[in-house]
Amino acid sequence: MERKTIDLEQGWDYMQTGITKLKRILEGLPEPAFDSEQYMMLYTTIYNMCTQKPPHDYSQQLYDKYREAFEEYINSTVLPALREKHDEYMLRELVKRWANHKVMVRWLSRFFYYLDRYFIARRSLPPLNEVGLTCFRDLVYNELHSKVKEAVIALVDKEREGEQIDRALLKNVLDIYVEIGMGQMERYEEDFESFMLQDTASYYSRKASSWIQEDSCPDYMLKSEECLKKERERVTHYLHSSSEPKLVEKVQHELLVVYANQLLEKEHSGCRALLRDDKVDDLSRMYRLYHKIVRGLEPVANIFKQHVTAEGNALVQQAEDTATNQAANTASVQEQVLIRKVIELHDKYMVYVTECFQNHTLFHKALKEAFEIFCNKTVAGSSSAELLATFCDNILKKGGSEKLSDEAIEDTLEKVVKLLAYISDKDLFAEFYRKKLARRLLFDRSANDDHERSILTKLKQQCGGQFTSKMEGMVTDLTLARENQNSFEDYLGHNPAANPGIDLTVTVLTTGFWPSYKSFDINLPSEMIKCVEVFKGFYETKTKHRKLTWIYSLGTCHINGKFDQKAIELIVSTYQAAVLLLFNTTDKLSYTEILTQLNLSHEDLVRLLHSLSCAKYKILLKEPSTKTVSQTDVFEFNSKFTDRMRRIKIPLPPVDERKKVVEDVDKDRRYAIDAAIVRIMKSRKVLGHQQLVSECVEQLSRMFKPDIKAIKKRMEDLITRDYLERDKENPNMFRYLA
Amino acid sequence: MHKLNRNNRDKLQQFVAITGASEKSALQALKASDWHLEAAFDVFYSQPHPRSNAADVRRLEELYNRYKDQYSDMILAEGISNLCNELEVEPQDIVTLVLSWHMNAATACEFSKQEFITGLQALGVDSIAKLREKLPFMRSELKDEQKFHDIYNFAFGWAKEKGQKSLALDTAIGMWQLLFAEREWPLVTHWCDFLQDRHNKAISKDTWAQLLEFSRMVDPVLSNYDAEGAWPYLIDEFVEYLYDKNVVEK
Repeated sequence: MERKTIDLEQGWDYMQTGITKLKRILEGLPEPAFDSEQYMMLYTTIYNMCTQKPPHDYSQQLYDKYREAFEEYINSTVLPALREKHDEYMLRELVKRWANHKVMVRWLSRFFYYLDRYFIARRSLPPLNEVGLTCFRDLVYNELHSKVKEAVIALVDKEREGEQIDRALLKNVLDIYVEIGMGQMERYEEDFESFMLQDTASYYSRKASSWIQEDSCPDYMLKSEECLKKERERVTHYLHSSSEPKLVEKVQHELLVVYANQLLEKEHSGCRALLRDDKVDDLSRMYRLYHKIVRGLEPVANIFKQHVTAEGNALVQQAEDTATNQAANTASVQEQVLIRKVIELHDKYMVYVTECFQNHTLFHKALKEAFEIFCNKTVAGSSSAELLATFCDNILKKGGSEKLSDEAIEDTLEKVVKLLAYISDKDLFAEFYRKKLARRLLFDRSANDDHERSILTKLKQQCGGQFTSKMEGMVTDLTLARENQNSFEDYLGHNPAANPGIDLTVTVLTTGFWPSYKSFDINLPSEMIKCVEVFKGFYETKTKHRKLTWIYSLGTCHINGKFDQKAIELIVSTYQAAVLLLFNTTDKLSYTEILTQLNLSHEDLVRLLHSLSCAKYKILLKEPSTKTVSQTDVFEFNSKFTDRMRRIKIPLPPVDERKKVVEDVDKDRRYAIDAAIVRIMKSRKVLGHQQLVSECVEQLSRMFKPDIKAIKKRMEDLITRDYLERDKENPNMFRYLA
Repeated sequence: MHKLNRNNRDKLQQFVAITGASEKSALQALKASDWHLEAAFDVFYSQPHPRSNAADVRRLEELYNRYKDQYSDMILAEGISNLCNELEVEPQDIVTLVLSWHMNAATACEFSKQEFITGLQALGVDSIAKLREKLPFMRSELKDEQKFHDIYNFAFGWAKEKGQKSLALDTAIGMWQLLFAEREWPLVTHWCDFLQDRHNKAISKDTWAQLLEFSRMVDPVLSNYDAEGAWPYLIDEFVEYLYDKNVVEK
């Protein structure tokens, strides 16, 4: 079928009618909508003009005219309309024009659709849709975007100041920036966002500089939090979502980072004041604000650490002051008060860490470091390790905590063990604890076996099995000793001939578990010798391979004192009893006679005689009657002695064991350091001095904080003992020998 | 003679000219060291010289017998005293330490026959007169950094009591005063005072050896002293002592 050729002019005239109609619709003039026939005609015209044989193929010309149609409309109508409006009105116009433009692109590209399908596709030209948008971008957007940006930012600032603005309008305007990018965010970012961020920064910089002067720290933080919240809302309302992190970062920087120091250090309301006044909410807010900022929490944690340290130091100082002001016997009470207060302090600030500071590691670390500082101070000459051991003793011994419920005791024990984690001399604690535990167990002073075992379990969990193995051994020993005593009594029941006629209880212990006790060869009274022999006889029926060593210094005796007025039961130590039994045969003995008969050292004998003749109960009369015992004194049984009680305990003041414990621990540390060095060197063979020292400290830190000097001494000792040598070339290197 | 290329022949002649050795032993040494002249010297000088050995040993034995103790096969205090007299040096002279070092003597104030003879052989002397001529050379050896180091470390084992691991403090101080008279170290008096004042115990080999390092490495105002370093603790304490006594400004 032959088709009539359409020439360009004729065809375009027809297209013009369609375009004019479209423009009238866009301008809102009365105009009926396109019906499908019109649309079909327009499309067909284009189709025909594009499919005619050359030279009547007008594809290229139509493609150009398509663009020109937009350009003409924009230049004649759109731009003039936009140019005469300003600010918000201009924005409204722009939004309207952009919407119209999109409609126009949609329609025109439909009319010209055939170009898209063949001509454009074949020549890889920009498609119709894109050409339409490009026209708007090149002519409208490029001319206006900076004015638009200013108008938008002005509105944003108005809103920041609390005015109501048309958010939907802004949303539509900003969408233009995004759509104009045609899939790229560059236009939005470069033409709007960067300026907006800059403006935000300077806006908040101004605000911050005046707030920081006028407001207290809590108020400032409230305002900051509010601003941040509003800025986030702003993003959801009209900014592109990709702006949120950038915007928040800017605001945080201006409000929180720039003035961080001034804010946290504010004299009467800064971080310190908040901690001082327990402003939990404000502190939580501070955490919320600063935890999103890189390294933002570090200064807060630092102040927290300083604050806790200062509080702790104050407690220590307080205890120290009271201890020096008061007599020695109440000093120990003060020290116990200190431990309780330290536990309370820990409870309090642990809550801060978990609640205000959301369990952040930085604050856990700060708390730990603060406690490590003041928990390792000595108070009135006692190390904290000793204080803690004594504190445990006071809870666990009879009469120490009977008023407390089981739960309360468990809770306190739990906390004491936690506190131990801050103490570097754990070995010293262990040694003191063992001493006290031994006293509790041997003199039947332990209040409750369950609590004894429970604290050991806790210690084991925290410090490892090695830490508690001896203590556990001690507790088990005592259970075994009770069984042993029962079978001893059975034995006596079956062998009446062996019965010494005195009630005898023997506690058999395992040497390695218990603290070392001095045991001297005293000449026991014959009654006691018999007891010893009987028990030995019994013990050998049970085992052949064990050696019994008698530690008389730990013994207790009940003896009857036949005084003139009445008989009184005296509870004394084995040594005291040995002294008193001498007076069964004679009334009067000189110091020297007692010394030779008992074979004791001067030091011990003076202590014993003092307790019997110079203290509260004067069972022996001393000649001359002075307050101290001298080697020329003579002693006589005081038959006139009486008391209103029928049974009395004559105490023997305990020897101060602190020095010995410290010495023992020192000796153990030397072995521990030696072992650590050898262990490290055995695996590493060659190692630099610094590294060896630091690995050694690391290995030992679970038990104690070794002194670098001590490590050096041990290293030198190991060199002389040929375990190590210095490298010949480099004296900083050590080699393992063997 | 042997088929040697010109190059090697030159080397041989050079070697003979320098060492005064026979061509035969020169050739041996050069072959043993793969014709490296320097290495060949080492080979040559580290070998005992068979050349005049027999005669030497006889003369050295005569010399040894002159000083030998009547009752034991060693030169003891009296013999050494005689030897010093004939050498015209004081027994306390540091040159006797250098001599002992050459002899590799195990203990001060005695030489075994073996030590005496090999020592003098190594020095290349076979009479008192020759030994006396060597004395200035031996004194000069103390100025040599490496040799001083060797002599210093030799002195510890030499001066300590047999069977002991460490050196008695008095002896150590005596040795230090003697040795540091040869080498300028301004802190030596303070060091000795410090030891008598604060330490008063024997000195371990490690401390002995490290003190020389300390005197070499650390300047007298301690500007380059590193408290974190591996110095023995005694030296660390010495440094603290110096600060305490205001000998050195911190």
